[in-house]
Amino acid sequence: MSASLRVLIVDDARLARRELRTLLAAIPWVECVGEADDVPAAREAILREQPDLVLLDVQMPSGEGFDVLDGLETVPMVVFVTAYDQYAVRAFETNALDYLVKPVEAGRLQAALERGRERLPAPAAPAATDSVRDALGADDQVFLRDGERCWFVALGEIRKVVVDGNYARLWFRDQNAVLARSLSTLEARLSPALFFRANRSTLVNLRRVRAIEPSLGDGYDLTLDDGSQVEVSRRQARELRERLAL
Amino acid sequence: MSEKRTARDTGFWWRNSAVWLAYLGVSLLLGFTYGGHWSGIVLISVMVSLCLWVGSAFIRGWALRHDWLQRDLLGLTWRLLLAVVIVAAATQLLTATALLPALAWDWVQLPGQRANYRPAAVFGYWFNTAIVLGVWCALWTGRRALQRARHSEMAQLRAEAQRATLEHQALRARLNPHFVFNALNNLRALINEDPARARDMVTHLSSTLRHALVHTDGGWVTLAEEWRVVQDYLAVEAIHYEDRLRVHTDIDPAALSARLPPMALQLLVENAIKHGIAVHPGGGELHLRAYFEGDGLRVEVDNPAAHDGGSGGHGIGLAYLRAQLGIDAVPSSSGRGTFLLERQGARVLARLEVQQ
Repeated sequence: MSASLRVLIVDDARLARRELRTLLAAIPWVECVGEADDVPAAREAILREQPDLVLLDVQMPSGEGFDVLDGLETVPMVVFVTAYDQYAVRAFETNALDYLVKPVEAGRLQAALERGRERLPAPAAPAATDSVRDALGADDQVFLRDGERCWFVALGEIRKVVVDGNYARLWFRDQNAVLARSLSTLEARLSPALFFRANRSTLVNLRRVRAIEPSLGDGYDLTLDDGSQVEVSRRQARELRERLAL
Repeated sequence: MSEKRTARDTGFWWRNSAVWLAYLGVSLLLGFTYGGHWSGIVLISVMVSLCLWVGSAFIRGWALRHDWLQRDLLGLTWRLLLAVVIVAAATQLLTATALLPALAWDWVQLPGQRANYRPAAVFGYWFNTAIVLGVWCALWTGRRALQRARHSEMAQLRAEAQRATLEHQALRARLNPHFVFNALNNLRALINEDPARARDMVTHLSSTLRHALVHTDGGWVTLAEEWRVVQDYLAVEAIHYEDRLRVHTDIDPAALSARLPPMALQLLVENAIKHGIAVHPGGGELHLRAYFEGDGLRVEVDNPAAHDGGSGGHGIGLAYLRAQLGIDAVPSSSGRGTFLLERQGARVLARLEVQQ
């Protein structure tokens, strides 16, 4: 039996939640882990239940669906559900998994959930995860918001993280956006196998490094896959050699 | 506006100068070819061209100032002809005034050193000038008429496009898609949960939709009619918001016969729910009052204010309502009623007054 998809329903209307429950009940590989009727309840439920996927209403009493995701350390996969498609375009810009319009068609719902199941990470071997139990891996995604634009970004897509004032600016795809967290907080949570502190102000994704060249003063110059250069300080150079077993 | 006019004047000045320069060139060429190289011919050609250059601009200015183009064909024609006759005569007079002394004092040369000013010749000169100026006037009027035709065609298209947009917005305001699709979604759940209520809800929803679609001609309805539909509307919304929507109504039976634009009450209620109930986790109370005040109907809907403090009132629903009443965004009594949206402490009050 393949892994089941754990789904959370977020909608302020009881009947709308009930309708989604009815539809989910017909899909054997889906497990509905709970319901929430507003932004705070949804955030709690996401933290508590750690669902794989959230069916997220776009408008709720205390805010928008986006407000549920804002500030969560990692976000589950998201399928937006809306009565009217005025927010749909924006949901797509954020590359949410999909969006559904009410009344939800069973076939469309199943297709969206199947896409979600395909993106589920393979169940990891329990022994290996023990040591880095809480570290975030390449498949975990974060939610970034910059004014009207927002993105879901898998950590593996992030090329580098650079200090920006008190916060951190993430560079991914051909975009960049600020995350309201300090670089050291982020570093503590990111998997050391993936991210490396190249110097005081920059974390780089080691999988995104294309070239390493020695630089003056015993450091290195890293070239990332977008052609940008990151300097590795002398202090960090030794650590880099160890990490890469040079 | 005045900048546009200045730009247009500048454009005309350049074009007109080019026309009369070309005319000067042609007259010189013809004069030299058929009359020989005489400086008198140069003087005549320059004088005539100069006078026509100034005269034509004068005719244009005069015609525009006195709105000749607004007149019928006959009125325009005789005015233009008169102008041509006068300006052509003035042109010849001025030319003669310059030519005769110049010849007398030998400043310029002509064959025999004298000009032919016999009556038939004078008429010939004048007639030639008048023909040229007449052609100029015809071309100028034609160009103007063409521009005006294009202009009015564009204006008409623009007006049509604007009307289509307004109609579309009005329909969107009356048939709020958010409301319709939420209702259908709830209905689907309700079919499993409570089939009898689901059947009722179909009736309420149909009544709401019919009201929105039928009264598109702008004819007014009685408050009794409107209130019946609003009750259906509230029944549908009650299924969506359940105990979050608590409605208190106080409608004076005497006011039920009053008339108001269709959808007016419903748009107020819709607005109150959207900005006052939907944004509060626990919902809230919606008060609805209708009564006579003097000889006018007064309808008041109040609801808890939104957290952001925005009193709203810019939505397409309220814009539609204002258009129906013929009133502006500012409270005034110029139209058939007034509409006011104001914050009162933690609540927002919408007050509609409709003259009967």
